[in-house]
Amino acid sequence: MKYQSQAVAKYYFIAAIALFVGQILFGLIMGLQYVMGDFLFPEIPFNVARMVHTNLLIVWLLFGFMGSAYYLVPEEAETELFSPKLALIMFWVFLAAGVLTILGYLMVPYATLADITGNSLLPTMGREFLEQPTITKIGIVVVALAFLFNIGMTALKGRKTVITLVLLIGLLGLAVFFLFSFYNPINLVKDKFYWWWVVHLWVEGVWELILGAILAFVLIKTTGVDREVIEKWLYIIIAMSLITGIIGTGHHYYWIGTPRYWQWWGSIFSAMEPIPFFMMTIFAFNMVNQRRRNHPNQAAVLWALGTSVMAFLGAGVWGFMHTLAPVNYYTHGTQITAAHGHLAFFGAYVMIVLTMISYAMPMLRGREAANSNKSQVVEMWSFWLMTVSMVFITLFLTGAGIAQVYLQRYSDTPQAFMVVQEKLATFYWMREVAGVVFLIGLITYISSFFVGGKEAEEIA
Amino acid sequence: MQKTHNRNRYALRPCTVIYIILVSFTFITWLIGKSSLTGLGFSLAVLGIALIKGFMIGDYYMGLRGINSIWRWVIILWLFIPGCLITWAFVSAG
Amino acid sequence: MPSSYTIERRDYPPGDLAIWIFILAELLVFAIFFATYAFTRSNHVALFNHSQLSLNTNLALINTLALITSSYFVVRAVAAIREDKTRLCIRWLIAAVMMGFIFLVVKIIEYHHHYHNGINLRTNLFFMFYFSLTFFHFMHVILGMVILSAVAIKARQGHYSSTDFTGVETGACYWHMVDIVWLILFPLIYIMK
Ligand code: HEM
Ligand code: HEM
Ligand SMILES: [Fe+2]
Repeated sequence: MKYQSQAVAKYYFIAAIALFVGQILFGLIMGLQYVMGDFLFPEIPFNVARMVHTNLLIVWLLFGFMGSAYYLVPEEAETELFSPKLALIMFWVFLAAGVLTILGYLMVPYATLADITGNSLLPTMGREFLEQPTITKIGIVVVALAFLFNIGMTALKGRKTVITLVLLIGLLGLAVFFLFSFYNPINLVKDKFYWWWVVHLWVEGVWELILGAILAFVLIKTTGVDREVIEKWLYIIIAMSLITGIIGTGHHYYWIGTPRYWQWWGSIFSAMEPIPFFMMTIFAFNMVNQRRRNHPNQAAVLWALGTSVMAFLGAGVWGFMHTLAPVNYYTHGTQITAAHGHLAFFGAYVMIVLTMISYAMPMLRGREAANSNKSQVVEMWSFWLMTVSMVFITLFLTGAGIAQVYLQRYSDTPQAFMVVQEKLATFYWMREVAGVVFLIGLITYISSFFVGGKEAEEIA
Repeated sequence: MQKTHNRNRYALRPCTVIYIILVSFTFITWLIGKSSLTGLGFSLAVLGIALIKGFMIGDYYMGLRGINSIWRWVIILWLFIPGCLITWAFVSAG
Repeated sequence: MPSSYTIERRDYPPGDLAIWIFILAELLVFAIFFATYAFTRSNHVALFNHSQLSLNTNLALINTLALITSSYFVVRAVAAIREDKTRLCIRWLIAAVMMGFIFLVVKIIEYHHHYHNGINLRTNLFFMFYFSLTFFHFMHVILGMVILSAVAIKARQGHYSSTDFTGVETGACYWHMVDIVWLILFPLIYIMK
């Protein structure tokens, strides 16, 4: 750690991992409810568990992004953070808002939560991923503004690099597109239309800039390859992400009542979206092959390479699978979508945050550059456990999805939704087993922070 | 400037000549359109002219002519593959 | 013919390799667009042929000439910098950007004309393709002009010389790409029926 103020990142990373555990627990609860319908009923209904699962995911990823930025920007700008105190205050505000919201979901019925938080004044609740009460949303905006101000001022007073610039644009975009969550028109078509401006333009637009910037940062640090080379790659990757991703939003506009040309635009442009993800894979492997040194933190290098591959698989391959309108006609909203959602979110954004934590945490905890060999071995185990089990979750869901599409939509004698779901129970059981392995991987990951602490650093 | 001689043995960049050819081809294409010459034959001729124009831009203007590697073929392939697909589509449409 | 017009043997294309990766990705998008257009047309020949009649080939001719000419100017700019004639290089670049402006203006006139006649994206399948393809290309012309202007500014600041002109070639290659795409687009959409 070069700058004292980078230490605030540690809070963000710890909170992120804690919420990550919560997210997975609720995933497992739901996984079980898929096959045992009344599990934990009426205490935790499926829809509530789903909300908690997905909201925790988004919130902990945001913690992860902010922590990454607090670590990355001072180091790139070669100056202390503008205001570590503001960063800490915002940490507690965000954590409190997050925890209160989750508790709200769990303790009172959703309609009551809407009532007591005054949703009727400015109705924004009730839409997937954006279920948060309006005051929580306002809280998120305040935290985001304070965060952007803090990071922006830091960047302004120090060295300006391409990585910081890309990261800042990504984070700014994240905040700007979130504003569309406040727009909640009566017209359902419009509602859906702009809902995707948050959801899609996040993960297939501005978040890709964040992903690219963090990946580039970790690669510079761990490979010692020339900054100029890495920056060039970064430029191309983000240009390609934006060119394909923005109009690619159209792959969500096929069946919601928008004009027909969206079927063409969405199909053609989103079919190109795998390109930037593919470039990222090539980029990461190229840089590691051209490395000028062997960084002692081999776990971080593994995470970085893993991110580039898994993001390509989850977003690129599994995204492409159902992105053309004639295919999506059959697969829309099936388990295929869930398979893709899991692998893409995990491969791209979960893994990039874990990459950054893996790189930064040893320094934040007072080590020179890396954890001991023992700790890294445990961490690498957790990498493989989580990655492989997520691949299996994806494969089981894909299997379930293909069967579902056939039985429920494609066959000459289509069957009813629930009839088909019954037949898919085996797939769902296997998904649940893979989910348990994922949890074991996560526990292994956390335990890697507690083993081998006293041993010397690994010198590669 | 000894080297210049050597280099000249390889392709020149006769860019002005190329420019004149490009402009003439463009006029031919336009004339075909103007005189309402339609049908498969004319369509494919016009396409062929366009592909040749693209080839000249790639080879001479971009300077791919002198490249020793796969990069030499980048533009040519890009013209060739869509060219084939378009031809196929037009032929199948009759 | 001065030496700067020669092409020497090398393994990599002129300009930065990075721009070539970008050019390839962009060309792929256009290629798919072209093929989709052609195959969709084969199912709606009458509609496409009829709709094509309302396009103005004269304006398209002007635009094709504008782009070809500007490509030529860019070649001259590269040649100039290879002879260390920085100011000449800048002038050729500005001329190329001016040609880009002509293209934009003419295209806007065309769009305005359609708009006036109540023709838009939703009119029919042909116009869906027409507007999508030409507008996507339109955006590339703008991006190309931005790149050429940036190169001109850097040239002015003295960043390039006869030994270091990769930047100029990088911008040049991107611009030629924009030109090539139009060279196919012009006959495909305006002429072939
Ligand atoms: C880091 C790991 C995980 C990520 C990133 C993640 C992400 C997501 C996302 C994005 C959704 C919404 C999907 C959609 O809208 O189509 C979702 C839903 C769900 N997840 Fe996860 N999840 C993870 C782990 C798990 C685990 C371990 C399980 C349990 C085995 C699980 C079970 C579920 C279930 C049952 C749903 C609801 C699907 C439905 O509505 O039918 N998730 N998850
Ligand atoms: C890291 C990037 C990505 C993430 C995190 C992601 C995540 C998701 C999620 C969670 C959904 C479900 C949304 C919902 O209905 O609740 C979804 C849907 C979809 N995604 Fe992605 N995605 C990514 C990239 C891509 C890419 C690159 C493509 C195309 C090549 C793609 C194609 C699709 C399509 C077509 C749908 C709609 C599925 C349906 O109709 O049900 N995604 N994505
Ligand atoms: Fe999307």
